[in-house]
Amino acid sequence: MTPLVQFRDVAFAYARPERRRERTFAFPGLSFTVERGEVFGVIGPNSAGKTSLLRLLTRVLRPQRGEIRLDGRPVGDLAPWALAREVAVVPQEAPRPFPFTVEQLVLMGRYPHAPGRFFEDAADITAARAAMAATETLALAPLPLEQLSGGERQRALLARALAQEPRLLVLDEPTAHLDLRYQAETAALLRGLNRERGMTILLVSHDLNLAAELCDRLLLLSAGEVARVGAAVDVLEQGLLESVFGCHVTVDKSPSGRPVVQLAYERG
Amino acid sequence: MTDARRLARALAALSLVLLAVGVTALFVGSAGLSPSAVARALAGRAEASSVEAIVTLSLRLPRVAAAVLAGAALAVAGVGFQALTRNPLAEPSVLGVSSGAAFGVVLAQILGFSSGIVAALGVAAFAFAGALLAATIVYLVATAPGGLAVQTLLLTGVIVGIFFSAAITVIISVVDFNRLTGVIHWLLGNLGPIPAASLALFAVLAGAGVWLILKSARELNLLALGEEASRQLGVDAERLKRRVFVAAALLTGTVVAFTGPIGFVGLIVPHVLRRLVGQDNRFLVPTAALAGGAFLLAADTLARNVVAPAELSVGVITAFCGAPFFVWILRTRSRPL
Amino acid sequence: MIRALAAVALLALASPAHALVLRDMLGREVTLAGPPTRIVSLVPSVTESAFALGGEARIVGVSDFCDWPPAARAKPRVGGMVNPSLETLVALKPDLVVGTDEGNREETFVQLQRLGIPVYIVHAHRISEMYELIARVGALTGRRDAVGPLVTGIQRRIDAVRAAVKARPAPRVLYVLWPDPLLVPGRDSHLTEMIELAGGRSITGGEPVSYVRFSIEAAVARAPEVIVLADHSTGASTAGRAAPEKWQALTSVPAIRAGRLYSVDLSVLHRYGPRVPEGLELLARMIHPEAFK
Repeated sequence: MTPLVQFRDVAFAYARPERRRERTFAFPGLSFTVERGEVFGVIGPNSAGKTSLLRLLTRVLRPQRGEIRLDGRPVGDLAPWALAREVAVVPQEAPRPFPFTVEQLVLMGRYPHAPGRFFEDAADITAARAAMAATETLALAPLPLEQLSGGERQRALLARALAQEPRLLVLDEPTAHLDLRYQAETAALLRGLNRERGMTILLVSHDLNLAAELCDRLLLLSAGEVARVGAAVDVLEQGLLESVFGCHVTVDKSPSGRPVVQLAYERG
Repeated sequence: MTDARRLARALAALSLVLLAVGVTALFVGSAGLSPSAVARALAGRAEASSVEAIVTLSLRLPRVAAAVLAGAALAVAGVGFQALTRNPLAEPSVLGVSSGAAFGVVLAQILGFSSGIVAALGVAAFAFAGALLAATIVYLVATAPGGLAVQTLLLTGVIVGIFFSAAITVIISVVDFNRLTGVIHWLLGNLGPIPAASLALFAVLAGAGVWLILKSARELNLLALGEEASRQLGVDAERLKRRVFVAAALLTGTVVAFTGPIGFVGLIVPHVLRRLVGQDNRFLVPTAALAGGAFLLAADTLARNVVAPAELSVGVITAFCGAPFFVWILRTRSRPL
Repeated sequence: MIRALAAVALLALASPAHALVLRDMLGREVTLAGPPTRIVSLVPSVTESAFALGGEARIVGVSDFCDWPPAARAKPRVGGMVNPSLETLVALKPDLVVGTDEGNREETFVQLQRLGIPVYIVHAHRISEMYELIARVGALTGRRDAVGPLVTGIQRRIDAVRAAVKARPAPRVLYVLWPDPLLVPGRDSHLTEMIELAGGRSITGGEPVSYVRFSIEAAVARAPEVIVLADHSTGASTAGRAAPEKWQALTSVPAIRAGRLYSVDLSVLHRYGPRVPEGLELLARMIHPEAFK
C-alpha cells in the first residue's frame, strides 16, 4: 500500500539570511515515509528543521529539489484547499488576538470543503459539532477562545483540525504549553483518534518521552538530515541521542515497555 | 437561527434606520421649506423650477445620496483594513491613501481643473492618481519578499500620510490668499450636491469596492488565525491581502475624490457594530455599509443645520465624535494593544 | 484726518535731529530715524496707492501679490503675504516695512521688529478707511500733495456710481467667493459694502462674520436676482475659474432664469486701493446694467 506521506530527496534552504535560525541550516536531501494509520513522531534539537519539515508538508514552503507526495500524488498538484481537506495542522498555540468563539473557530475548519460558500451550511455545522464532541469541547462552544485555559484552547484547536475531516492530522508541539494533566488528556485523545478512527497522525515534539509513548515510529532529525528512523526503542538510543543533542542522557524502560529518556545532570 | 437569517434581520433593522435618517435629511434644511412642499417635490408634483423642487431634488437628494455612499464606503473600508491588519485602530485615513487623494485634489484645484463635468471627472482622476500613488508606495514598502507584511503596512501608511499632508501644506503656503480659505474648507470634508453623472460614477466605484471586501469577508475571518494557519486551510493569503488592500484604497480614494477627506467614520462604525453584531466580518461588512451611510448622513444633516444658514463641515462633526470615541476604545479594550 | 497728517508733518519738520515717531492705522507707535526712503510693501493696496500717488521711487520691495500696476512687478519681490522671505527682505535694507493685519502674519512683524526694522500696519475695512490708507501712504512716500487729487478723483467716481444706482430698487445679490464648499461674504467683509454701494443687497450680508461657509439651499431659498462668481484664475491658468455650469441647474433662482450669472476677476474687487472705483463700476454694471447704457 502506498505510504500516506512520502518525502523523496527533499532539499530546501532558507533564501534570506535574516530568516535563518542557524547560519548553515538546510535540508540537503531528506527522505522518509509515513504509513497509513500510524502515529509518526518527528524529534530532534531545536534547529534541526522540525518546523520547516511541517511547512514543507503543508506547502507553506516549497522544496528546491525533490518531491513530497501525499497518497502518491505530489502535493504541488493539489490546490491549497484540496490539500487542506487531506491534511490538518494543529498549531502550537492559538493566535492572539483572536476575537472569535470556540464554535466560530471550529467552523473555520470547514472552509476547505466549500471555499466559495459565504455561510456554512447544515452539513458544516454537523461536522463541527462532531469534532467538538470528539474533543469534549461542545460545552465550550459559545465561549470566546481567549477566555479558555491552555488545555481547553488546545482541544479547541484540535477540534478545528478535526472539523477539516482530514486523513492526516499534523500536530506542532502538542503539549508544549500544557501542564501534566492536559498532556495526559491530549495523549489519550490522540491515541483514541488513531485507534478508533484510523487517523494517521504526524507529530513534531521536543518531548521525547511523549513521542516514545505515543508514536509507532520516530524520525530523529539532526541538522536537516535523518539521523535515524524506526521504532522508539531503536531511535532513542543513548549514544545516538548524546551525539545528536550534545548532552549526557540515560535511557531506561517505562512500565509500558517504551524507552524513557532522562537528562543526566552534571553534579559537580 | 441560521447565520443568514440573523444577517437578514440585522440588515432589515439597519435599513429602517437608514430610511428614517434619509427621510429626516430630506425634510430638514436651511431653506425653510414646509414638509408639504418637500413632499410635493418628492412626489414629482412640484413645478420643475420651483424652489422646493430645486432644493429638494437638485440639492438635498444628491447630497443625501453622496452622504450615504461616502459613509458606506468609509465604514466598509474600515472593516476591511482592520481585518487585514488585525488592528482595530486601523482607519482608512491612517493608511496614507486619504492624504494622497487629498493631495491630488488640492493640486488639481490649484493647477486648473474646476469647471463642468470634465472637471468633476478631472478632479476625481487627480484624486485617484494621488490615492494610487500613495497606495502603491505603501504597498511596495510593506511588501517583503515573503509577501505583504501587514504590520509594516500600518507604519508605512502613517508615514506616507504625513508626507502627503506636508505636501498639501506646501501647496497651501504658496497659494493665493483668496483661494486659501476655499482649499482649506475643502480639506475639512465637503458633502456638497454632486451632479448626477458623477454620483453614478461614485456609486459604481463604491459598489465595486464594497463588493470586493464582502467577497473576502469569510477569508478575512480566517486571517485571524494567522497567515500561515489560514494558508494551511487553503486561503490564498497573498491574493486576499492584495484584494482587500486595493478595495479599501479604492473606496477611500473614491470618497476623497468626491467629498474631500472625512475621518473617523471608518473607525467609529465598525467598532460600534462589533459590539452589536460580533466579530464575524460576514456580518460586519454589510451592516457597516448601511450603518456607515446612516451615520454620515446623520452627521451631515447636523452639520448643515446646526448653525444654519451657515454650515459646518461634516468632517468637524465626525472628528468631534471621533476623538472622544477613540479615547473610549483605548480605555475599554481588555488587552493592551 | 488731513489735519492729523499735517500735525505729524509739522512735528517731523520741527525736530529733524530727533527720531520720527508715527502712529500707524492700528494706533501703534512706529519710530523711525527720519522720513522713510526705502519702503518694503507687503500689501497690494499700499503698493497700488504708492504708484498711483507717484511715490514708487521710495518702494524698494513688494510682495508677490503686488501685481498692479504692471510696473510694480518690476520691483524686487520678497515672497508671499503669509510667508515672505525675511532674508530677501532684509537684504533690501529697508527702513520701513508696511504690512496689514489681514493677509500678513503677526509672526512676520515680530521677526522684523526683532531685526530692528520698523513695521507700519495699515488696516482698511471700509471705503472711508481706504481714503485714510491712501493719505498715510502719501505721507510715508513724501507725496502728500498727490493725495488730495487722487482721493477726489476716486470719490467722484464712487459718487457717480452711487448716483446712477440711487432710487433704483436694490436687487438681491449673491456673491460667491468660492463655490465648493460655498463661501460667501458676511457683514464684516468689504465686499458687502461694495455690493451696497453698487446698488445691490447682499443676501448673505447679515452673517456676523467676514466670510462664512454657507448652505446652498439657503442661498437658493433667498432667491438672488444676481449671482456674481469670483474668478480666481490668473492669466493663462484656468485654475480657480468659477464654474457657471454647476449653477445652471438651479432653475428656481431668479438670477439663473434671467441669465444674470456673472464672473468677475477677483483681484480688482479685493483691494481697498485706488482701483476700488473700477471694481465698483464693474459690480454696478452687473447689478444695474440698465443704469450704464
